[in-house]
Amino acid sequence: MSGVQDVRQRNKGKGINRDASGPSSAVDYDDHNVAYLPSRSYIESFLNTEEASAAVVAILTIIAFFTRFYKINHPDQVVFDEVHFGKFASYYIRREYYFDVHPPLAKLLFGLAGWFVGYDGHFDFENIGDSYTENHVPYVGLRALPAILGSLTVPIVYAIMKECGYSTIIAAFSAIIILFDNAHVAQSRLILLDATLIFFLSLTMYSYVRFKKLRYQEFSPQWWGWLLATGTFMACTWASKVNGILTVVAVGVAVLIDLWDILDYKKGHSMQYFWKHFIARAAGLIALPLVIYLSVFWVHLAILSNTGPGDAFMSPSFQETLRGNELLMKSHEIRYYDTVTIKHKDTQVYLHSHPERYPLKYDDGRISSQGQQVTGYGHEDSNNQWQIIPTKALPETGRGRIVRHEDVIQLLHVNTGTVLMTHDVASPLMATNEEFTTWPKDDHSRYNDTLFHLRLSDAAPGEAWKSKSGHFRLIHVPTKVAMWSHPTQLPDWAFKQQEINGNKNANEKGAVWYVNEIVDSQDPDLKAKLEEVEMKEPKRLNFFKKFGELQLLMLQHNAGLTASHPYASGPINWPFLLSGISFWTQNEGQKQIYLIGNIIGWWASVGGICIYIGILGADLLARRRGLEPIPDDVRNRLWNSTGFFIIVWAVHYFPFYLMSRQLFIHHYLPSHVASALVAGSVLSFVLSETINTPVSAWGPSVKPRPTTYADHGVKAPVMVAVFAIAMFSLYLFISPLTYGTPGLTGEQVNARRLLSSWTLHFAAKESGNI
Amino acid sequence: MSANVRARRPPSPIPSQPPRSQRFPTLTHSRSDADERRTLASKGYIPGRKPHPSGGVYVTSAEWKLLILITLIAVGIRLFRLSQPNSVVFDEVHFGKFASKYIKSQYFVDVHPPLAKLLITLAGFVFGYDGNFDFKDIGKVYERVPYIAMRLVPAILGVATVPLSYLTLRALDCRATTSVLAALFITFENGLITQSRHILLDSPLIFFTALTVFFWVGFCNEDKQQPFSDHWWLWLTLTGLSLGAVVSCKWVGLFTIATVGFSTVYQLWLLLGDMRVSARLFFRHFMARALCLILVPALFYMFMFWIHFAILSGSGDGDGFMSSEFQHTLRGRGMADTYADVAIGSVVTIRHVNTQGGYLHSHPHNYPTGSQQQQVTLYPHRDSNNDWRILNATTDGSEPQDWATLPLTYVAPGMRIKLRHAATDKALHSHDFRPPVSDVDFQNEVSAYGVPGYSGDMNDDWIFEIYEGSKKDPQSKRRLRTLRTHFRLRHALTGCYLFSHKVKLPDWAYEQQEVTCNKNAVLANSLWYVETADNVLLPPDAAKVNYRRPGFLSKFLELQQVMWTTNAGLTDRHTFDSRPDAWPRLRRGINFWVKDHKQIYLLGNPMVWWLSTAAVFSYIVVRGLLILRAKRGCKDFENTKVVKYDTLCGFLFLGWSLHYFPFFLMSRQLFLHHYFPALYFAILLSCGVFDLVTSTLRPRIRLQIAAVLVIIAIWNFIYLSPLAYGLPWTKAKCQNARWLKTWDFSCNDFYDSYDQYKGIDYTPQPSQIVPTPHGRGAVVVEGPVPIVSVDPNTLGKAEPGHDVFAENPHPDVKSDPAVEPVQYDPVVSDVKEISSNQPLVIPKQALPLNRLRRSKKPLLLQH
Repeated sequence: MSGVQDVRQRNKGKGINRDASGPSSAVDYDDHNVAYLPSRSYIESFLNTEEASAAVVAILTIIAFFTRFYKINHPDQVVFDEVHFGKFASYYIRREYYFDVHPPLAKLLFGLAGWFVGYDGHFDFENIGDSYTENHVPYVGLRALPAILGSLTVPIVYAIMKECGYSTIIAAFSAIIILFDNAHVAQSRLILLDATLIFFLSLTMYSYVRFKKLRYQEFSPQWWGWLLATGTFMACTWASKVNGILTVVAVGVAVLIDLWDILDYKKGHSMQYFWKHFIARAAGLIALPLVIYLSVFWVHLAILSNTGPGDAFMSPSFQETLRGNELLMKSHEIRYYDTVTIKHKDTQVYLHSHPERYPLKYDDGRISSQGQQVTGYGHEDSNNQWQIIPTKALPETGRGRIVRHEDVIQLLHVNTGTVLMTHDVASPLMATNEEFTTWPKDDHSRYNDTLFHLRLSDAAPGEAWKSKSGHFRLIHVPTKVAMWSHPTQLPDWAFKQQEINGNKNANEKGAVWYVNEIVDSQDPDLKAKLEEVEMKEPKRLNFFKKFGELQLLMLQHNAGLTASHPYASGPINWPFLLSGISFWTQNEGQKQIYLIGNIIGWWASVGGICIYIGILGADLLARRRGLEPIPDDVRNRLWNSTGFFIIVWAVHYFPFYLMSRQLFIHHYLPSHVASALVAGSVLSFVLSETINTPVSAWGPSVKPRPTTYADHGVKAPVMVAVFAIAMFSLYLFISPLTYGTPGLTGEQVNARRLLSSWTLHFAAKESGNI
Repeated sequence: MSANVRARRPPSPIPSQPPRSQRFPTLTHSRSDADERRTLASKGYIPGRKPHPSGGVYVTSAEWKLLILITLIAVGIRLFRLSQPNSVVFDEVHFGKFASKYIKSQYFVDVHPPLAKLLITLAGFVFGYDGNFDFKDIGKVYERVPYIAMRLVPAILGVATVPLSYLTLRALDCRATTSVLAALFITFENGLITQSRHILLDSPLIFFTALTVFFWVGFCNEDKQQPFSDHWWLWLTLTGLSLGAVVSCKWVGLFTIATVGFSTVYQLWLLLGDMRVSARLFFRHFMARALCLILVPALFYMFMFWIHFAILSGSGDGDGFMSSEFQHTLRGRGMADTYADVAIGSVVTIRHVNTQGGYLHSHPHNYPTGSQQQQVTLYPHRDSNNDWRILNATTDGSEPQDWATLPLTYVAPGMRIKLRHAATDKALHSHDFRPPVSDVDFQNEVSAYGVPGYSGDMNDDWIFEIYEGSKKDPQSKRRLRTLRTHFRLRHALTGCYLFSHKVKLPDWAYEQQEVTCNKNAVLANSLWYVETADNVLLPPDAAKVNYRRPGFLSKFLELQQVMWTTNAGLTDRHTFDSRPDAWPRLRRGINFWVKDHKQIYLLGNPMVWWLSTAAVFSYIVVRGLLILRAKRGCKDFENTKVVKYDTLCGFLFLGWSLHYFPFFLMSRQLFLHHYFPALYFAILLSCGVFDLVTSTLRPRIRLQIAAVLVIIAIWNFIYLSPLAYGLPWTKAKCQNARWLKTWDFSCNDFYDSYDQYKGIDYTPQPSQIVPTPHGRGAVVVEGPVPIVSVDPNTLGKAEPGHDVFAENPHPDVKSDPAVEPVQYDPVVSDVKEISSNQPLVIPKQALPLNRLRRSKKPLLLQH
């Protein structure tokens, strides 16, 4: 160790001048010769030979495959979100349109896997616990896909560390944290998206590290190769799951820092040089990923060409591109004097009226007009029928009788012979909104109040109003309120039907209605049309329009996932592994699958991050006081390589604090991979201040510098071995919760409840003192 | 980040004469460089006059006269017709009401800390307000309320902000012209005027923000001069006190603390890098700041709450938000001592620990769903229907009702008990029915079931489990002790825990809180304690207990928590709320008051407002450009002028961004007036930019430019002043003044000409919109309908901001007394019961992620 001390002494006071030495920064390294440590321990040298490294990674990979594939056929039941993702695979095979908040790549892969193993898509994955064997689903084939990807993540993690210049034993340490992690194992053995996401994320990191290492050989073929590989894998991550967008952000942050360094005047580069770099990265990391992301959606939409459960989410024009869609089949133009039923889009109630009147006085003392009630009613009824009355002169026949966008109409309630109207009287439940009522059709004293503007959604001027597909808002002509409804029941005097009132903000979502059915028409042609049902060819729509609509809906629905779930947890719990998710339980034999990580690995990772922040904070303060406790090379390694892992960790973690949607512990798994890498590099720093340099390939402009080697001595392999054994033992101990087998008795479950916040099932009841 | 980066620091102290400060020698002409000499000359300090140190505020006597003149103008502008309108305006609804409650000592809870409200109350109290006006609605005419005195508090503080802005800019080393410009901009800012003329908290907030900034800038100047002098300590302590005052007005003051905090950290960072400062000296710097900028504000803040609690000693409508211990300290809310021990046969009332839902309650009404048995709820008030008798469920052979004849048995953990509702003689019961509201698999309904004389079935049995006792009462961990033991009740057959959460039952249960039996219960929501216990077997001299009276600290912390959770929960929409992105462009104002064809509408002075926003953006652009240039090797930051204005504008920009951007993270209801503290910084920043732009001009031209700007600002002010003061206006003028379509004051409310205002004094009662069922006459239309012209802004009704505490959280619905024993058909209910008498079933708990397509309600279906 005395040698190391010497190095520290000699490095003192040099750091500041390093940056100032200008363009020659990569040249003048002569005094680093002293850092060369020829006395490297035998174990260290042996482990870092290529053969030993290959052997280590081979062993790790084999164990990874074993842990991920062990009893993969158990349970032969639908587990947790297999309900969703298994179903989506069926839809791909059946080519039926569905809607999901996640981008399609990972699900497409499942579909592909299913098709490959000969699954015909007949099973619906309706409930957790449905049997696969009884329904003849080749589920092992589906589960094999994430298991393979999850297993491959282990050697990739190893390779990232190796490429970053850490020694074999440190790389193995990081890989072991992932290898024996029960959460990663549980998540990769089931039909879930996270294994795919993490696989592509680690590939992205690997490619980016390789790309960064070639920084002195810029614009060489390899450099381009790894740049494009980074872009490709990044796009794949993004296309796998919606939180893959964070990977894009992480790489973006790293690239911006990189570019900022290139821009530095002291580096001596011209602006032209900077722009070249900028454009290359824009092409590789913005343009290429976009193309890939779009093409994944193109494949998605090309496969899903038939009508399916996702139709209802889409706009009418989108729905008409799906074969067999109801809108496509049953949508007809509406003419004046047609009798129709009108439905509220959000709550699916019919526009309804009945002879009962509003009570004169409400409970809160406000007064009504005592007009006829207009309500929303959920069931079919003859009181739901309204006739469309024109306010302009009509031709006898022909297309002039069609109702069009921006027309002013009256709605006649057929049963009571009254017309719909609204006026400046507060509605029964909301004092800010106007009351809807009706008025006898022969009494013209309130004629103006019965006029409504028909405003179709996204319509061109003069577009015809169609049933089913023609979503519209009904704007009152004199007061500009829109007919609006909300899921609140009126009191008993209106038979608990839903309130309909006039909302001053016509752009509210709840103001959209559509014609459900044309009940009666004066047009004989239409009558005939209503009878026949023919197979229509789906219409075509521009891909980009479809993509834009789908993307917008995905964002909206992702933000809308706020319902509570018993196993949802806040981001603050995740790094400390305070809560898990119950995936599946079986009373018979007391079996369960509970997603929970290996607590040793998780706490080691979060400890590594804390130590890292502490080291850098102390270093910054010390430097401010003119001390330099860490040699420059080691410090650069901490800033650049570990810093990149920290960026990946932070970008995949902190944004969740801003999300108000349902969050689960598996959202932390990408960050956990990054934190395992941080833990490895921190361990390397803690054990010894020696590092392997240089890691980057030499370029033409860089003078070769002497090589130094990391030497962690004997203690590193011993420590890592002890750590691995501890990880493995705890992994084995928790594995019944991960694999769902064997069953556990109550006491055994209690023993595995390492933290009191884990909510395991079948725990033995403790009576008395708790 | 104030003026504490000096343009150029001398490399080392001059050896010949030891300077006064180790770090920063006095700035004199003899030792200043050419730049500084020029700066001094531009301010009138020519060589030969007495040299001024740059620290502190040194204002010449001529400037004092100028300052007094400006202040008088501000008095005229701010206090003009302060008595008009003589009715309640906007949030006076709330803050006036709070003053009434202070005067009457009735406890209330508000989301804002007390200082500003206390000041307003003080004014009201001094001028003899008796607290009997209810401030019910906007537009209600004041009767026997010294509302002018109360309005004077914010108005005077608003006036005081004007000279403060002048002094702050002077202390930041700006020219007198610039400072006058800033003072006049603030004087003629319509929004600040409107806001300071009514009983609202924002004017005190802005004043204290300005005061803090002023003190802090003064401190920074001192710090450059000579640290640890008496002046230095004075400025620092004053900064700390005013920081305490800001945060005691509104929690927005935390942003001011953040501004000063960032600035302090930066100062310390510079000190740390200064190798001439020894570690000991650095530590002294650090401790002095920690003491004055953390401890002093914290103590000040707590002292305000101490006064708050001291005044509000009586019970009021805020009780329901506080814990039982807290309520016990309020006059009129105390509880008599009760027996400490609970035994079989005791009649107890049981309270839920985690929510303020109240007592375990039952009343003779049945659930309309599920088992249709008698309801069990949580009820917040004391009532005989909260009484339950504890019976032993494991008595062998003997009936549970025999408790009176058996020896006294304390309730101990693991005991199997029944709870019998005293008034209706039914047992607390749970079975495999879904609860009425929380209709999920892992919750079971809890009901009261049984008939007199029938000892009940197994579903009435609960296992008593102690969760924790009190440290001071060791017995409470071993057996059930009133008030001290927190316990859970596990249903003997299904293993679920008696549970309640903040979910209200519908009307049929009088909106009381739902009680269920939860198999997957959150621990905190399944804890209960006994509040009162009575047992005839206990001797009258047996040990009695009562709530512990919480000390000031625990009361303080509890109130902070209530304020925090409620503040975050203020998410209702208000007609005139707005999001932060709309504020810098003055997209829309707030309707404060509409009456008698006049209105008050909070809207800024567009010229001042937009100019300040432009200044902020120009700073961002220029600073970004400077950073890029520095990266490419330009040496801008070695220019003293760049450094001076960068420090000045940088500090003001920091203040602006810290008072603005955090609002983006808030999902609560936000209003235009939340921008005002940031606006103050933005106006100062715009004047700083003015100082920079005109720095090369001759003083005369600079003065002319400033005069033009002020004249435009005054013209803007006059143009929109009827809205700020609630003066008569005409429709036409109003229409002309709607420069942006989004300014939604309703012009149709004004008369067509000023003549019509003559003779109208005021209507005594607020005008109300009366429904007009037969209003409009028939219009026969042929062909295309002419669009009837209607003013789109018919929503011209002022509403106060939402106050969650305005209503008692628990409506005082009286629980029905126990009526005559209800007629039973035991056979019928038995049939149901036998079927519910099921063996222990472990539910299947795994649930898929709750995605849209899994939800039971149709979310977006079209067919």
